[in-house]
Amino acid sequence: MKTLLIHVRKRLLTGYGLLFFAFLYAPILLIVAYSFNSNPINMMVWHDVTLDWYRAIFGLPHQLGDSELYADSTDQLLAAVRTSLTVALTTTLFSTLVGTLTALAVARYRFRLQGFYRFLLFMPMVMPDIVLGIALLIFFISVGMPLGTGSIIIGHCTFLISYVFIVVSARLAGLDTRLEEASADLGAGPWTTFRRITLPLIAPGVIGGAMLAFIISMDDLVITYFISGVDSTTLPVFIYGLIRRGIKPEINAIATLLILASLAIAAIGLYLRNKQHSATPATPDKTDPAND
Amino acid sequence: MSTTQLSSTLETGAAPKARSRRPRWSLIALLGPVTAFLGVFFFMPLAIMAVFSLLEPGLYGGVVWNFYADNFGRILGWANGPIEEFDPVYLSILMRSLRIALITAALCLLVCYPVAFWVSRLPPRRRNFCLFLITLPFFASLIVRLYAWVLILRPSGALNGLLAWLGISDAPVGLIYTEAAVLIGLVYIMAPFMFLPLYASIEKLDRGLIEASYDLGAGRITTFRRVTLPLTLPGIIGGSILVFIPTLGNFIVPSLLGGAQVLMIGNLIEQQFLQARNWPFGAALAMLVMSVVLGLLTLYVRATLRRQATDVPGKEAQA
Repeated sequence: MKTLLIHVRKRLLTGYGLLFFAFLYAPILLIVAYSFNSNPINMMVWHDVTLDWYRAIFGLPHQLGDSELYADSTDQLLAAVRTSLTVALTTTLFSTLVGTLTALAVARYRFRLQGFYRFLLFMPMVMPDIVLGIALLIFFISVGMPLGTGSIIIGHCTFLISYVFIVVSARLAGLDTRLEEASADLGAGPWTTFRRITLPLIAPGVIGGAMLAFIISMDDLVITYFISGVDSTTLPVFIYGLIRRGIKPEINAIATLLILASLAIAAIGLYLRNKQHSATPATPDKTDPAND
Repeated sequence: MSTTQLSSTLETGAAPKARSRRPRWSLIALLGPVTAFLGVFFFMPLAIMAVFSLLEPGLYGGVVWNFYADNFGRILGWANGPIEEFDPVYLSILMRSLRIALITAALCLLVCYPVAFWVSRLPPRRRNFCLFLITLPFFASLIVRLYAWVLILRPSGALNGLLAWLGISDAPVGLIYTEAAVLIGLVYIMAPFMFLPLYASIEKLDRGLIEASYDLGAGRITTFRRVTLPLTLPGIIGGSILVFIPTLGNFIVPSLLGGAQVLMIGNLIEQQFLQARNWPFGAALAMLVMSVVLGLLTLYVRATLRRQATDVPGKEAQA
């Protein structure tokens, strides 16, 4: 009787767990399914499989989509994708560079302001998006800097430097400092030691931080919403605007493509991280890698 | 970001090894960029915002450079000038935001706790796969995931379709633009923030202690209340804070799923900047959100440090 009860309980817990995964994934799968439904009036009723919504968003010939509406929209969509990519790539480069330099300084030097610098880099991560967004808006307007791609890049860097810093710091904390000492003892200068020993060892952390920065930058909505100019909309802000204006089947197609792209990047990143973790089990990871 | 980092970022203050060999100028070169960048583009904007919150709003947007404390008074509903009366509308929005953020944290906890338990008991391979599956949607576009809930909850949406198909209800349930819809959306996007710290503390849980509790005659409920719950408390608190902070200032979820019915403080701030053009009042509201968040974090970090200070000897004795 008791074992039966335990068995039932275990089953219930498994059922609950599976329900949780349904909760996480059903909404996403729903959009993907809708994006292929040819019913233009009611997405809920399945008509037929079609690729017309995808054709419509790229301005290709199609029957179902509202062609007049989307002739204009296609250009805007492509412009938004371009802005998003420009912003994400620039931001990733800059924040990875600055974040890594800072992590190296804090991990490998002893100086009085160490605690202060940890605090400094901790602040942007915990600052609510909306606060940072409007603070930046007030700042850019006050100093007379035009809102556009440049302001978005600056805005993203303010918090992404911190993310890179955390990931690279975690990697540095797990490294054996004796390797660097040995290199110095063998006569290598600081620069050679850095280039030949430290950099290859922290490379996985740097790459991980860069991927995280790229994903977050591509996805940021709130801060970008406040500091993007009229003609520099990023993809999330563009989609937010579309949804606010009304729900159309074309949005499903855009959403599906975006999900596929971000999931692909995230899956590669997580896979690489897991592989790395199993490859270097010896590193005593006191601090979690930050990308969770 | 997980709780362990949240606290470890601050507390691992002492440098591991002194490097007398390294020259001072290279330290300055390494720290120069971040100091300049965050100084100009992070701290200066926050300082300007703080100043703005104490200035008088101009008649047609912009500010008048006069000291003006009424922005904060207005949040509390104090009448300003002869034409206004006491009106706690902003106070009620603030209270609603706090309530929604609290309920969201509680719901996330209820949803995630059993799942975290379940995942921690799975065999390693399947456990890693489950963790991967839980982390993955977190990287999928936020706006797209919320859009999915707009599709599900609107009157002609998937939920009503499902209910009609099951024969439960033919009359459409108007769930969108209610507080329930906002809560569903918030729980959906915040669940991973709760899950990961929870999982971290549940996984560390020593099962021997639970068995010992059973052996000593405690029932399931007593064991949970006296052993499991206190031991997983760090994860519960850490997760709740990680959910509470972004929820409090969130304005995307209420604007998509709450409409004009369920305004939160984030929506109010957005309105002050993009519609009402009352920047000082918006800045005052943002200062309020920031103070609540920073206050909470300070309490949390302090409590964590104190716990670790008292905990460490005990842990070593255990191992």
